[in-house]
Amino acid sequence: MADILQKIASKLYQGEEEEVAELVQQVLDQGMDPQEILSGGLIAGMDEVGRDFKAGDLFVPEVLIAARAMHAGMNVLRPLLAESDVPTAGRYLIGTVKGDLHDIGKNLVKMMLEGAGFETIDLGADTKPDAFVDAVREHQPKIVGMSALLTTTMVNMKTTIEALEEAGLRHTVKIMVGGAPVTEAFAEEIGADAYASDAASAVEVARSLVA
Amino acid sequence: MMNTLHSQHSLYRSVVFRSLTDDQIARLHEASLEIMARTGMRFYDQEALDLFKKAGADVSDGNLVRIPPHLVEWALRTVPKSITIYDRDGRRAMALGGYRSYFGVGSDCKYIYGPYTGERRQAVLDDVVNGVHLVDALPNLDFVMSMFMPADVPVETYERHQMEVMLRESHKPIVFVGLEAASTVDAVGMAMAVAGGLESLQRYPFVINYVNPTSAFKHDQEGVQRLLFAAERNLPTIYVPVDYRGMTAPVTIAGAMALSNAGQLAGLVLSQLKREGSPFIWGAAGGSTLDMRSMVASYAAPDRGLFGCDLAHHYGVPIFGTAGCSDAKVFDAQAAAEAAVSLFANVVAGVNLIHDIGYLDCATTGSLELVVFCDEFIGWIRRYLQGQLEISEETLALDLIHEVGPDGNFLETGHTLRHCREDWLPNLLDRRDYNNWVAAGATTLQERANQRVREILETHRPKPLPDEVQRQVKAITQHADAEARRTA
Repeated sequence: MADILQKIASKLYQGEEEEVAELVQQVLDQGMDPQEILSGGLIAGMDEVGRDFKAGDLFVPEVLIAARAMHAGMNVLRPLLAESDVPTAGRYLIGTVKGDLHDIGKNLVKMMLEGAGFETIDLGADTKPDAFVDAVREHQPKIVGMSALLTTTMVNMKTTIEALEEAGLRHTVKIMVGGAPVTEAFAEEIGADAYASDAASAVEVARSLVA
Repeated sequence: MMNTLHSQHSLYRSVVFRSLTDDQIARLHEASLEIMARTGMRFYDQEALDLFKKAGADVSDGNLVRIPPHLVEWALRTVPKSITIYDRDGRRAMALGGYRSYFGVGSDCKYIYGPYTGERRQAVLDDVVNGVHLVDALPNLDFVMSMFMPADVPVETYERHQMEVMLRESHKPIVFVGLEAASTVDAVGMAMAVAGGLESLQRYPFVINYVNPTSAFKHDQEGVQRLLFAAERNLPTIYVPVDYRGMTAPVTIAGAMALSNAGQLAGLVLSQLKREGSPFIWGAAGGSTLDMRSMVASYAAPDRGLFGCDLAHHYGVPIFGTAGCSDAKVFDAQAAAEAAVSLFANVVAGVNLIHDIGYLDCATTGSLELVVFCDEFIGWIRRYLQGQLEISEETLALDLIHEVGPDGNFLETGHTLRHCREDWLPNLLDRRDYNNWVAAGATTLQERANQRVREILETHRPKPLPDEVQRQVKAITQHADAEARRTA
């Protein structure tokens, strides 16, 4: 049995999503405890991914495909696990604000967050304040991240925060902002909780917000 | 001296460097045409969509434009093959085209190493002034960019403040960036005030509009409007879609080149539809390199090479490129090596406008010291590439060699006296022997570069603009500031 868990971990590391899902189903059928499969197989695999990513041996696309394999395994396990047992660094709602099509930075941050174990919900580019509000209501994220590249659109970060306040949802989330013209001072001025200057530091800031 | 007349001279004046074969160029061009006609790209601007539709492009799904090859071929025929750029005073400054290279800094670094403290801090408007003074003073730099994004002016109007400083503090040509269409209208308005009207600015253009549309696939409204605004006025635009290999474009260089080239060709077609013959400047296509371990966008990676430059030369359009910059966090040996090698590579490839000199930390931090170093190194490259070998009676000096012979020396001859000042001499690079180097303070290159930066900042005073012109330029900035306060 331990061999199969080892195999799950290593298939996860290689990003073989179908095989991971099949193996998880197989050990479940053999009667193994879902919690044990989770910690001994999936989490063990992701831990190794995290270690090697940090050491520079794994590249971001490889981390993403491993994360996808993790999700495939989780989809099999989730119905059998208590909510509190589902591992996630936190749910993160992300989007580029209204009027702004620039989504490269936003996509980078999203990828890095996923690699770090966050569950992300991506609202895409040109996201209107109402769309943020609706998504916060629906998904109840821990963090909302907003991106803007233009000085003309960064003001929509403020509008979005105001919309969340009006909807009575502001206190339920932490808000992070970023993008080329955005500064720490601007983040403070509009009432965001945090600012990150690039994708790597966004992950660290997000971690500290949910810690 | 013998009086010999030679026929059948062949003279190689420069390194010949090409990285694509004719067949590869044709294949990439075809690939770009296929992407444009088959996949199409989105234009988020109604006027652009109308222009494309009227010209016979296929517009569907709201804003997806598929451009037929014949429009591209037409635009490539109508675009100017060379562009003369003047300085603020109407003197010829850059003849863009062919294999002629000109050099300038970059725009909008958030941080600077303070020249007096060495401390890394947020840049302010005074740093923009200092950067412009430096470029104005340095002999091998040809055009000005803002270098820094000032934190001490309103974020809504910082581009106007940058433009005002560039116009006021240097006579050299300007490449200006703008994220918004309105700031470009103001930038051109300021340039018109300096030139004395639009006609005179058109006759002697000294500002270049630099547009970065979102990506090859997505041409955002602000970027497109900036292109159309300049094209309508027959002013030159550099149009470079921002693509990252592995992110907005294939990770493989050929695919990224075909796609980003398609984005530039689409911009070219649009510029020519707006005004036939309007000047358009290519970017070195190929997509930026993301380090796949960290997703940091490198400014000094060798991977993309300068393949895009060969494409632009094939089209015969002026080309804009990036060099003299580094991913190093400080001005250290890595910075000097990456800056020097990239400058050399860009020059031999024939990039016309070489920008981003002085960038560190992947375009986050600007270093005035690195700018000074690059100026020195451009001098080195200039000498190396212009150093054509003249073979003549005077330079071969066979009579002299025979006269001096094995037992004499050349030091005291008139010939040596005549020619001893022809070699290139360094200013920052040190050639002293060890003892003299110690006696002169045992300084490092970084220290000498900083010293030179300070000397220039303390002594260089650019030629001022007439008071009345300064007032007109300033009024545009003040108006924008007031508007920003009103709508805040």
